[in-house]
Amino acid sequence: MTRVAIIGVGLHPWGKFPEKPWTQIMVDTAREALADAGVEWTDIQTLIAGSQIWGGRKGTYAGNYFAEVMGETGIPIINVNNACATAGAVMRVAYMTIASGVADLVMAAGVDKSPKGFFPSLPVYHQEPMPSVDTLRWNIGLPNPVFWALECRRRMELYGVTDADLAKTKVVMSKHGVLNPKARYRKIFTEEEVLNSAMVADPLRLYEICATSDGAGAVVLCNLQKAKKYTTKPIIVAASSVASGVYGDPTARIPSLGINPKPGVPIISESYVAAKAAYDQAGIGPEDIDFVELPDNSAWHPLQYLETMGFCKEGESHLLFRKEETLIGGKLPVCPSGGFSSFGEATMAQGFVQVYEIVKQLREEAGARQVKGAKVGIAEVYGAAANNSALILKK
Amino acid sequence: MTEKRQILVGEGLFTWPSDKPKLIATHCKSCGDYFFPKSFTCHNPKCKEKQVEEVTLSQRGKLWSYSVLYYPPPPPFVPRDPFEPIPIAEVEIPEGLKIIGMMEGIKPKDIKIGMTLELTVGTLYTDKNGNDVIGWKFTPVKA
Ligand SMILES: [Zn+2]
Repeated sequence: MTRVAIIGVGLHPWGKFPEKPWTQIMVDTAREALADAGVEWTDIQTLIAGSQIWGGRKGTYAGNYFAEVMGETGIPIINVNNACATAGAVMRVAYMTIASGVADLVMAAGVDKSPKGFFPSLPVYHQEPMPSVDTLRWNIGLPNPVFWALECRRRMELYGVTDADLAKTKVVMSKHGVLNPKARYRKIFTEEEVLNSAMVADPLRLYEICATSDGAGAVVLCNLQKAKKYTTKPIIVAASSVASGVYGDPTARIPSLGINPKPGVPIISESYVAAKAAYDQAGIGPEDIDFVELPDNSAWHPLQYLETMGFCKEGESHLLFRKEETLIGGKLPVCPSGGFSSFGEATMAQGFVQVYEIVKQLREEAGARQVKGAKVGIAEVYGAAANNSALILKK
Repeated sequence: MTEKRQILVGEGLFTWPSDKPKLIATHCKSCGDYFFPKSFTCHNPKCKEKQVEEVTLSQRGKLWSYSVLYYPPPPPFVPRDPFEPIPIAEVEIPEGLKIIGMMEGIKPKDIKIGMTLELTVGTLYTDKNGNDVIGWKFTPVKA
């Protein structure tokens, strides 16, 4: 297989941009990535793009409408939708397009604008004899944070995780996010402030659940052999994996109403499988990783993901936070970008926050957030309906 | 005055009307697994025969985990006015399934993991047309 490198990245600042068309957000971001790579849009041989959930028909074929304003060149465009894990799936398809030898220069891109507040239900136009579990859970009144709260409460019961431990995850993310000019929330939160924020889905408080944002990311990938033409700092894609759920997964996943757990199947099995596949592909293990970007959609997520990704034993992740090992400068910096906690979710695009961060870190261009001596970084991003993908990048 | 209608939150989910309503599920006679809501096939990838039947589930189970919603869920759910926090239960039943549903008849501070709960069917909320939406709920079993 052809080895693959990242030669350019772009990331739109995260926030709310009602006055700016999403196509423009995407174009600005893509131009940033192209300039960073030193290539022209007309050099791009294939576009892999995230397909939006909230953007109606136009958003479904986001890649095509983006290319229309970018300037149509007739290249293959593939629109990918793997829920909030879409960016990881986009990266995987872009990676495979080059690894297979089909193309040498590929753009991976994603942009999204989020609705306000809790993500709402979406209409279904099919005729069906029974409502789907996803329709039902909205009818019953179960927004996404409830599912995370169920897992979180169980964890607290089993392992003695406290409210303060949950708050601490937000504190750490905020200390990183304040240093990131692309982040939406740039303020350091104290444990007290987090604990005093309104309860939303007990045990998760307002500041422990990530907001919903608008944002975009773009990545230019290249055949490693040809990357030297464009850059002296190619970042190597050591692994790009996608995984789905395993039968018997005990997780109260989004969406579920009846769960059929089987012995030996891990919580968020799709994430466990994706991480393992990535380590196998890269030929390394968690001990070789210098920093991690994980999907901190809520305060529960970092605790679960550090275990799922193999960085500690089950039930011990909160101890890493208590010992401050997860801060930049600690043993295993977690989300030096500031995480989704500092950016907010922008479903199709949020995984690109992670890709951008790892590339910047490995190029030693992360400024005040720089993880000293970082050589290998891993990202994992997760979505509804048991979607996950993992990415390992190295110098 | 128009009469309030009762609307099921979904068809084929529980026996209704009934004095002792039960959840309707699929049982696979081949591998023994249960599925809720019911399905036209067994979802076990290792099961070859997939001989399924419709069954009803045990009404009692133990609280596996819980949450309490302090923010009103978005439409189509219609929260009470004024809003009251909504406890949510994940209940492990003898068939091995964990069922998620609204909890009632308990104050948030009294919820304990491991407590025994019983299935009931009743009004989840009144929809925007004034109809009662009927669904399953869990209530604590008094010792
Ligand atoms: Zn079966």
